[in-house]
Amino acid sequence: MKISFIINGKNETLEVDGNTPLLWAIRDVLDLKGTKFGCGKAACGACTIHVDGQQVRSCSYPVKYAEGKKITTIEGLSNGSELHAVQQAWEEFVVPQCGYCQPGFIMSTAALLKQIPNPTDEDIDNAIINVCRCGTYYRMRKAIHRAAEIQAEFISSSSVNADK
Amino acid sequence: MKKSIFSLLAVLISLLAFSISMPPDLSEGQKSELKTSPQDSSNEAFDKMMQVLMHQRCVNCHPAGDVPIKGEDSHVTRSLGISGGEKGHGLKSINCQTCHTDENNDFSGVPGAPHWALAPKSMAWEGKTRVEIATQMMDPKLNGGRSAKEIMEHLTEHELVLWAWDPGVDAEGTPRETPPVSKDEYIAAVKEWINKGAIIPNK
Amino acid sequence: MTLQSNANKNPKSSSRRKFLIRGSIGTIGVLALGTYVFRNPLRRTVLEMAETLVPPYSGSGTEANLWFEITNENSIILHSPKVEMGQGTFTGLAQIVADEMEVNMNQVMVKAAATDTGIVDGMSTGGSLSIAQLFQPLREMAATMRLMIHQEAAGLLGVAVEAVSISNGVFSGGGKNLTYAEVASKIKEWKLPETPELKPISSYKYVGKPVKRIDQLAKIKGEPVFGMDASLPNMLHATVIRPEHVGATLKSVDTTNAISMPGVVKIIEQEGWVGIIANSFPEALAAKRKVKVEWEKSKEWTEEGIRDLLKVGNGNKMITQKEGATIDSDDPNATIYEFTSPIGAHAQMEPNGAVASVKDGKATVILSTQVIGITQKQVAEALGLEPENVNIICTYLGGGFGRRLNTSHAVQAAIMSREVGRPVKYFFTRKEEFQNDTFRPPTHHIMKGRLTENGSLEHLEHHYASGDVAINSVLMPAAMHSVLGTDVGAMRGGNIMYNAIPNYRAVQWHTTLPFATSWWRSLGLLANTFAIESFIDEMSIKAERNPVEFRLEMLSNDEKGERIKNVIQKAVAMTDFHSDVSNNRAMGLAASIDAGSPCAHVVEVSVTDQKIKVEKVTCVLDCGFAVNPDQVKAQCEGSIIMGISAVLHEKMTLKDGRLYPIIYGAYDMALMKDAPKEIDVHLIQGVDIPLPVGEPPLGPIGAAIGNAVRRITGKRLTDLPLKL
Repeated sequence: MKISFIINGKNETLEVDGNTPLLWAIRDVLDLKGTKFGCGKAACGACTIHVDGQQVRSCSYPVKYAEGKKITTIEGLSNGSELHAVQQAWEEFVVPQCGYCQPGFIMSTAALLKQIPNPTDEDIDNAIINVCRCGTYYRMRKAIHRAAEIQAEFISSSSVNADK
Repeated sequence: MKKSIFSLLAVLISLLAFSISMPPDLSEGQKSELKTSPQDSSNEAFDKMMQVLMHQRCVNCHPAGDVPIKGEDSHVTRSLGISGGEKGHGLKSINCQTCHTDENNDFSGVPGAPHWALAPKSMAWEGKTRVEIATQMMDPKLNGGRSAKEIMEHLTEHELVLWAWDPGVDAEGTPRETPPVSKDEYIAAVKEWINKGAIIPNK
Repeated sequence: MTLQSNANKNPKSSSRRKFLIRGSIGTIGVLALGTYVFRNPLRRTVLEMAETLVPPYSGSGTEANLWFEITNENSIILHSPKVEMGQGTFTGLAQIVADEMEVNMNQVMVKAAATDTGIVDGMSTGGSLSIAQLFQPLREMAATMRLMIHQEAAGLLGVAVEAVSISNGVFSGGGKNLTYAEVASKIKEWKLPETPELKPISSYKYVGKPVKRIDQLAKIKGEPVFGMDASLPNMLHATVIRPEHVGATLKSVDTTNAISMPGVVKIIEQEGWVGIIANSFPEALAAKRKVKVEWEKSKEWTEEGIRDLLKVGNGNKMITQKEGATIDSDDPNATIYEFTSPIGAHAQMEPNGAVASVKDGKATVILSTQVIGITQKQVAEALGLEPENVNIICTYLGGGFGRRLNTSHAVQAAIMSREVGRPVKYFFTRKEEFQNDTFRPPTHHIMKGRLTENGSLEHLEHHYASGDVAINSVLMPAAMHSVLGTDVGAMRGGNIMYNAIPNYRAVQWHTTLPFATSWWRSLGLLANTFAIESFIDEMSIKAERNPVEFRLEMLSNDEKGERIKNVIQKAVAMTDFHSDVSNNRAMGLAASIDAGSPCAHVVEVSVTDQKIKVEKVTCVLDCGFAVNPDQVKAQCEGSIIMGISAVLHEKMTLKDGRLYPIIYGAYDMALMKDAPKEIDVHLIQGVDIPLPVGEPPLGPIGAAIGNAVRRITGKRLTDLPLKL
């Protein structure tokens, strides 16, 4: 069937089986490889993307449900050349090791900060339940707090600019 | 949408919470009918209904605490720390719909149905006896203020409840276990039990 | 366009360009040493070496011009013989190159060398050895390369060599500038200089500093850098059916219902597996479910069956350490404890897989592998090709941890490509990963000890049983077993480091299990140190001694002993270590030495509702010279969290004859909520060379946690994962 959606700001129309997991449409049809396959059963979070602003594990999300929706993947998270606050914090704290799970964590964190701009450690424990085998959780937690700060600075500076 | 999930689950739980001596929202007329009803067939209906309600297809989403019980394929477990939150819908940024859609997904084996959610904490069944579950389900104080009729509708008509007979397959294509009573028999049993006054046996 | 300094790709025909770097760089690694060396009576000495020695780098070539590529943009590309699996090696290597070649960090790129474009390690990337092995050779090669181009630059600039200065990859002299790229492009014939004197380490700008990872931006932005992200034009997708039951073999296959499924191109039956090749992965997966397979199951293996096989007293016995007398088996004053550890899964996030293209007698395989050279040999052998016709391209690895020492899937992908005449991408489902892992073997340990009247240990014995770790792996064929008599992988951490005790010994019992077991980050170290350091702690309690003093007096006064003492004393000082319990919270201490790097942890543990939580870890590691202290710390943090995961959570079991569970979550691992909020790493430079880093911190974590739990609850937990 024909499915149309907006991905990272771009209109796309695909001809695929509507039950195909969105992950494979993104990776193998649209050739956006930043969204990873980890388990195929929504258990690890490596395939996390945003659909209409909500985080979704794309390995278990049939492409037909994406019809008409706005999808953001790791490739579309940053605003042009400037990295997203979460990516900036990740860079600052040198979080990635092997890096395979990181896009999923970054997308989950971005979703968390949208809902809870200044998360507590408990919020982070409850909301960030992806799997990282290298054990980068310790730096990630610090980076998540830092991302909240960067986001807050950005919001306050934008509102100052808007006032001018 | 969220409200409807909540009410549906609330209703589901509250179904079972009638007290024997004082069915809270039966009319006088219904009460008198009750006296003439054969206790045995009510008990039999109750047995059938409870075989379903105590099956993992139902209890998995009525856990003690706010974490779903693992499915047969164990992809959802307490170790992942997935939380239903206060109302059972998940947390703000990560919720049931992060992984579950309105239908079963045969590729991943992730199950789905409309309004996929946990029952609210107040409606936990896990670890309880069938009498406790039924009592709790029919008690408006614990079932979100549902009448017996609303509970009946919920138990026999709601898609998420009836999903138990269409639970899909796991990622290997192996069908999930369905409850030990057929859907039609179950629906008939629920109606009979509630229509006969929702009398909860002593044990 | 890139300009390769190596004009002639066949290194053998350009002998005058050959760099002789160091006599000790040969084609041997410690595991591949000539077998004669291992003959008794040298065997035990060699085993001791195997435990502590950093084996020399075992790459096949010494041509510097195969290592470096200079681009028109004046960047240096290092074709690394070691791969990057998260350990930060590429960043460390780039630091060395930048300093010795006088360029900026952002002018250096590092790629894993492919078999036909560079030098690959003849053995593997593993054992925490990459930086330790390459530090000296790479400095020398980079310095030689710089001098060679420097001399040419002088010629081109028309001034004396001494009059040419270099900065940021630009040579200046006689009022003119030339970049590396400009010089390299003009050279027709290279003149090889003697290897120059290396810069003193203290003068380095990048080496020894906490430089940021060179690969992190690509990883943060989700760029396609992994084997799973590879693709080739006209590529098909495949999935494979393989046995689920331990020991099962393929009996019959019926593909009738599968072959007509949408998108299916071909289904092939091979010895032991079935390959389903389709236009897309979801189509291959859907068709896989329609294949009917019957399996021949000779035996239904159970957890108990494995435990019965694997215990002290069973299998091949080898005394790996012996000093003084043994404890009599009926000694009434002996204290005896038993410990166990379970089967562990690698559970690396990127599934194993490969993109293969086999055509016209040539094969290309793109994948994540720790054994590029061995993968090449295996693919060549399976396809009947000469190794030089098989090019193995290694991407970044989405985790290694020892899992990618076995790359039989590269062969499967290549066979499927050959069968359809098109490139094929094949990777494991997560269930296949969990059921066909090369697991960390379960272990069984018996610790024996006897105290003197003064409360010192006079006897200590570690008897341990393990499945294969090194034996039967690609790095160590089964034939080596009869020579070595022991599994050197299972032996890691198995010997007693308390060499001031008058009587001690370590005895290994080795059994090959009915499923594959192999390397798992730190090999035997995790379980062996858990047993030994838990027992030592218990003995200190029995002796009513301070666990720190108790340990220190058993360590010898030689260099090794002093370095172990140092890490313990530093960890104790940093934490103000004590044995008090307050609010169900206490500290635990343990130490180990692995591959020459001593490590001590002090953990703070809490127990709430019978749940053990690690609140804080203080880690002191003597890793010698740290090329990148920040990434050494990252390795410590990662090891600690992976260790906590193994010690408190993870366990594979057998269920209905199959390995179980088959998915994250059910295979319980440490997540964000389980990771300590505080990890304080302190590095000590006990020697002046870089030593292994990526595994040693896994050693003490199990016992440190168990020792803290012992303080809080009074219970000595003896089985991993630790549960109250």
